[in-house]
Amino acid sequence: MTKLDSKIPEGPVEKKWQNAKFNYKLVNPANKRKYNVIVVGTGLAGGAAAATLAELGYNVLNFCIQDSPRRAHSIAAQGGINAAKNYPNDGDSIWRLFYDTVKGGDFRSREANVYRLAEVSNNIIDQCVAQGVPFARDYGGYLANRSFGGAQVSRTFYAKGQTGQQLLLGAYSSLMRQVDKGKVKMYTRREILDIVIVDGKARGVISRNLVTGEIEKFEAHAVILATGGYGNVYFLSTNAMASNGGAAWKAYKKGACFANPCFTQIHPTCIPVHGENQSKLTLMSESLRNDGRVWVPKAKGDKRHPTEIPEDERDYYLERVYPSFGNLAPRDVSSRQAKYRVDEGKGVGSTGVAVYLDFADAIKRDGRDAIEARYGNLFEMYERITGENPYKIPMRIYPAVHYTMGGLWVDYNLQSTVDGLFVLGEANFSDHGANRLGASALMQGLADGYFVIPYTLGNYLASHKFDKIETNHPEFEKAYQDAQGLTKKLLSIKGQRTVDTFHKALGQIMWEYVGMSRNKAGLEKAIKEIQQLRKEFWEDVNVPGDPNIVNTELEKAARVADFLELGELMARDALNREESCGGHFRDEYQTEDGEAKRNDQDFCHVAAWEFTGVDKEPVRHTEALDFPNVPLATRSYK
Amino acid sequence: MSQAATKSLRVYFSSSIGKKQIMAVTGLALCGFLVSHLLGNLLILVGADAFNFYAYKLTSNNLIYVAEAGLAFIFLLHLFLALNLTLQNKMARQDGYYMKKRTGRGATLASSTMPYTGFVILVFLILHLIQFKFGPVYSTVVDGVEMRDLYRTVIEYFAAPLNLTWYIFAMTVMAFHVGHGFSSTFQSLGFNHPKYTPTIKKLGLAYSLVVALGFAGISLFCFFQN
Amino acid sequence: MSDKTMMLNLKIWRQRTNKHKGEMVDYKLDGVSPDMSFLEMIDMLNEKLIRDGDDPIAFDHDCREGICGMCSLMIDGQAHGPQALTTTCQLHMRHYNDGDTIVVEPFRAKAFPVVKDLMVDRSAFDRVIQAGGYNSIAVGNAPDANAIPISKENADLAMDAAACIGCGACVASCPNASAMLFASAKISQFALLPQGQKEAARRASSMVASMDIEGFGNCTNHAECEASCPKGINLSNIARMNREYFKAKFTNNEA
Repeated sequence: MTKLDSKIPEGPVEKKWQNAKFNYKLVNPANKRKYNVIVVGTGLAGGAAAATLAELGYNVLNFCIQDSPRRAHSIAAQGGINAAKNYPNDGDSIWRLFYDTVKGGDFRSREANVYRLAEVSNNIIDQCVAQGVPFARDYGGYLANRSFGGAQVSRTFYAKGQTGQQLLLGAYSSLMRQVDKGKVKMYTRREILDIVIVDGKARGVISRNLVTGEIEKFEAHAVILATGGYGNVYFLSTNAMASNGGAAWKAYKKGACFANPCFTQIHPTCIPVHGENQSKLTLMSESLRNDGRVWVPKAKGDKRHPTEIPEDERDYYLERVYPSFGNLAPRDVSSRQAKYRVDEGKGVGSTGVAVYLDFADAIKRDGRDAIEARYGNLFEMYERITGENPYKIPMRIYPAVHYTMGGLWVDYNLQSTVDGLFVLGEANFSDHGANRLGASALMQGLADGYFVIPYTLGNYLASHKFDKIETNHPEFEKAYQDAQGLTKKLLSIKGQRTVDTFHKALGQIMWEYVGMSRNKAGLEKAIKEIQQLRKEFWEDVNVPGDPNIVNTELEKAARVADFLELGELMARDALNREESCGGHFRDEYQTEDGEAKRNDQDFCHVAAWEFTGVDKEPVRHTEALDFPNVPLATRSYK
Repeated sequence: MSQAATKSLRVYFSSSIGKKQIMAVTGLALCGFLVSHLLGNLLILVGADAFNFYAYKLTSNNLIYVAEAGLAFIFLLHLFLALNLTLQNKMARQDGYYMKKRTGRGATLASSTMPYTGFVILVFLILHLIQFKFGPVYSTVVDGVEMRDLYRTVIEYFAAPLNLTWYIFAMTVMAFHVGHGFSSTFQSLGFNHPKYTPTIKKLGLAYSLVVALGFAGISLFCFFQN
Repeated sequence: MSDKTMMLNLKIWRQRTNKHKGEMVDYKLDGVSPDMSFLEMIDMLNEKLIRDGDDPIAFDHDCREGICGMCSLMIDGQAHGPQALTTTCQLHMRHYNDGDTIVVEPFRAKAFPVVKDLMVDRSAFDRVIQAGGYNSIAVGNAPDANAIPISKENADLAMDAAACIGCGACVASCPNASAMLFASAKISQFALLPQGQKEAARRASSMVASMDIEGFGNCTNHAECEASCPKGINLSNIARMNREYFKAKFTNNEA
């Protein structure tokens, strides 16, 4: 229990951040240039942190896996970013944003963190506008807002359907300015293979140059991980192809606790899988459910063309089960219902793993033009991918893994259980509890990067003494040898199966047993199967090619090796959390009418896992959560 | 001018955008010259005396040397920059594509052949000067003044079908060159607006047609005079 | 959805590293489903190559939903393939027929050296942005977001310009390998916003200089860039850049 000290500052929740900032030690401006800081990742959290720390005067070494920092997967977020500006005068406030986020997270997040997030949300919008982010505006020249799921106010700022892209390019431009000034040294096409810890403090990283294959050592006074989520454990997700859990997983293996790994968010409106060669899934905005009606045929295995199925042979199941919310039931609820229909054998399309989202009634009611004005770009995207015209044939949709709320455990200062190792954005276990609300991920990434880490990192650096070390220190040497060894080992197996076949097999296990609904038997089975698959991987994987040039199979193999361990931890966490909350639904813990049943008595806590060895059981630590400001309540959408 | 200002201008003239803007300005000036040349040539339709008198008036004014020098300078600058830019553009690609197709939504035959049509125009221009300006000199008397009978030179030249064909070919090529060049000029100088750009494009097309048809028409007229 | 699969003849550029000579290599691929994306088709070929003991083809890709700008193939002589407003990752095999021959090459420009096979180095774009593609504002300085109103027209135009994903299709398709559309999109975005106008002259001046140093070609107004841009970045941005650059050089003391 002593392992997890959340370091929540004193005082009432609305004063905590202010108090903390005042009590933090400061690094004198002239001394900042004496500190090197490694930032891994260039998404909203990493890019913002690297730029801001460089602005303050630190020397930043910034790493990314793509060829340019502008391509981090934050770029794919469509909807928007929340802030408590209350420009529409509809009753929003910092307190309300805080309240909605805690409640939306199903009471599994830390109140103090969430309050701080809501508090700095307004500064984010100011900062982005000043950077030149072209948010949508009204004719008067002032910023426009839209509403988003889980909130009764309009607090979402947006830039067309490309908000993530525009915010990321804003952070990227600030970052490029610092690169030009020489304050940030950019390392692109780099994969982090290990975190180096010297005398209990994170002091560097080992990376692989993906172009030359060279394994490199970098030393610093602190390491910041902003490497995103681990949704690609499922093979198919809305994550980018290179999104991986590698750096976070290496940190876990070096002593950082991993919190709530089972909390994954599954998004209900994605374009379904077309076949076994599918490589990733594409999300379509949830706003479609405002006008589309979700249905499946009443009869099992009904293979008729959807337009030939008469009205009375269709099951509009969301409207049937949730008469008041209907097609607008929340993400987790509607995802699960789709799965139930497919499990019953009522799924549609050639694979039978999809449900219809039908706009025929909306088109009849409002006319094709109105629907086109609302969703034209989404319909186009759908048609480009599927080759079907959704104005004529109902869309086929199915849920897909979208976001991971779990991640490395961090205290209030965003520091992990390893000194000097900070974790930002989706990579940490975050402020979202068991479920993230729409338009909150962008807010959290930028809050961490622009407004939190600049303070908390200074406090860390000012309160510790650092020995001067070089990259020939034995700990660096050992990590370097380990990384070399791993590469050699992967290349030497020369088995029969490609990396992707293992990744797909893992994805199937995860989706089946650690997906939208989970149960004890399934999770136990998943753990066994993953262990078996891992064993096979190390005996039979085929990684071709050379380590000294671009070798994409080698990159993939190392990531899948990590996923094969991480997947097991997710299953283990899901097995131990004997309740249903947010994105984690256990079949055993539901109300009579199939709703999630939280167990606040026994599970109102963060579960953070400590690594003890690859094939050994990790230790489960807990951090109790209390909710003095937002009273515990049950979510209901009936 | 301060040193910084001089440097700034030097940078401008050696920059990609500076160079293309000078291409644009010189190109536009040459377009203007073409119009005045065409107007002069139209006098051929009026008759030998009118045309010869016009040519005499033009060449007997001492300012003609200044004008010719200016025109030559503009032309040579346009030519020099064209060579320079074309070479740079070739270098910017280095290794060529195994297969390259136009999208059909952008480049046109005219835009893709600018260096080649430009080259044809250069050859034409040299021959044109040899054939006319420095061509056979006859003399005639108009209103009691002795002057060069350029009209005769022209008519004689176009009597040969080969000459006529070459001339019409050159004018066609020029139509392509100025057709792209004219509207391009506006884009290079920064005039692009959804309200005006379509009109400018049409104007460019009209201009190239008028000029090419004008010159070619006159050459045909001359051919039939024989 | 179709159950029919097709056989394709692929001609793909293979080049081990930047130091090695490259060549076009022929591959036959059977069983391609029309529902697959172009990149999934190459994934499939790679799986086959690995099974056959060959080196898989390296190509850049990441988000596979058309926004990260990482994918970059020259398909049958066109950047991102034949479909307008579509990145390679969003191009689907249903646009091809059984027995088709498809030529796949990397984006080519002196400023985009080949890294391996179909992968190129586009860091020149980052350096062009480093030269001035930002507003000089540090965190902490910003006034309230609504302090400076921006006309909807300009905000929308800035958004259209800012939609650039930095993929480099403009350079790849330009007969001159020019980066003007890319640079102008950024210069335009900021020139259209009051926040960006403070350093507009300096920005235009140094970004153009950087673009020239990187070895990109000149603009000869073909509009192939606009035609092949997956995000529909407009040629009017280049005109705006030309204007901004002229203004900077002739009216500003520092630029």
